[in-house]
Amino acid sequence: MRIERDTERGRPLTLTVDGHSLTAFDGETLAAAMLQNGATFRRDTRGLDRGLFCNMGSCSECMVTLLPSGRRARACVTPASDGMEVRTDG
Amino acid sequence: MQRCDVLVVGGGLVGCAAAWHLAAAGASVTVLDAADFGLGASGQNAGSLHFQIERRFLEQGDSLARQAEQTIALSRLAIEDWKGLEAALGADLHVVMDGGFMVAETPEQVAMLERKVERELREGLRMRLLDGDEARRIAPYLSPSILAAGYAPDEGHADSRAIVPAYADAARRAGARLVSRTRLDRLQRMAGGFEAGAGDLSIQAKQVLVAAGAWTPQICGLANLHAPLYPVALLMNVTERSRTLEVPHLVQHVGRRLSMKQTGAGNILIGGGWPSRLARTVDGGFDPGVRPELIADSLAGNLRAAIDTVPAVAGLNLIRSWTGVTAVSADQLPVVGEVPRMPGFWIAGGGSAFTLGPTFARLVAQAMRGTPAPELDFVSPARFEHLNSFMG
Repeated sequence: MRIERDTERGRPLTLTVDGHSLTAFDGETLAAAMLQNGATFRRDTRGLDRGLFCNMGSCSECMVTLLPSGRRARACVTPASDGMEVRTDG
Repeated sequence: MQRCDVLVVGGGLVGCAAAWHLAAAGASVTVLDAADFGLGASGQNAGSLHFQIERRFLEQGDSLARQAEQTIALSRLAIEDWKGLEAALGADLHVVMDGGFMVAETPEQVAMLERKVERELREGLRMRLLDGDEARRIAPYLSPSILAAGYAPDEGHADSRAIVPAYADAARRAGARLVSRTRLDRLQRMAGGFEAGAGDLSIQAKQVLVAAGAWTPQICGLANLHAPLYPVALLMNVTERSRTLEVPHLVQHVGRRLSMKQTGAGNILIGGGWPSRLARTVDGGFDPGVRPELIADSLAGNLRAAIDTVPAVAGLNLIRSWTGVTAVSADQLPVVGEVPRMPGFWIAGGGSAFTLGPTFARLVAQAMRGTPAPELDFVSPARFEHLNSFMG
């Protein structure tokens, strides 16, 4: 889903979501990296996959847990960084 | 011209519930709402099912506490109404009645709690006074600073966003006519009943029930009556979903404004009566139709009370705060019943109408069908009849 032509990427990054390794580029948000790699943000009370809703920091549907701090953060306003480790089951 | 037995003004919890009871009993019912159903206090509150005497009655000294004692009889009926509600409506309302605590943190608050529990036991509410350790055994999330708690095993919470649609659906199935986005602009007594109108729409009704929350005084004004209900603006907050913190009870505080409970999805709802600021009309009156302004000090105070009571909530993100308008009466007690000088004109509203609303609606519908409901005598509008001695 990334624009591939006529664009300059930041340097490639590797991060881990629920134990799976994802690639992203510097300047992308964690939510963008998760979307690009098909990660689920959470499951609802019926066990169905849910994604982010607003992608602008308002709805809080994309909350994830950052390791090792355990801090909860909105993936859509969190920059992806190299070596980042994330859990979605918080 | 349309004709019906009962015109209900206001499509909130009480209005839709009363319409359901009346229609199910065979009355022809029309419900009018100026906006959509359940958009006022019914859908904006945080869904507490609180049966202990409310803190707002205790903070004004003993006189109001004695009045509040009388509401326990209604609370006991409300417990039974809520227990059967999901089955009666055939709807999932997220009703959880696994108990509620009202906590105390200082010796003065413990003394207040003891007096309160004594009143409640005297009035027959299922209730226990626990010391801090006993409370923490049932509710390990409570702070070590909690010295005592009133525990009411029937307390809990329900989803305020689900209840009005469920009542509205039931009312429609029973044959009631529900009309939204229709603002009443005339309401007068005539031979054999009332004539009401909204623009081109004219309705003749034998009886009228005003269940319009904070708008009740304006609606009563159309019929040349005073109704001593006043709009108040409150603050509600919600945290992100949590799997690590489990708060399966309603949590309130006897000395500080606080209500907390956890939704089925895991969010913690935090409220308890912290004010927000009512909007104004251009001529300086209060405008309950405009969303009130959040007061930063209320937000800070509400969250402080929550963290002091349930420390683990400090680790969660607040994801939303919202403001809403409800109504309180001149003496803080609800106003439910027929206006003596205008037979056939009924009012139901004035506070605690999420917890007590299903009971108000059931009893007022029963009384409107001709079977007296003595349980409502002490909340009758008759106590304010002096205000209408030059009206009507």
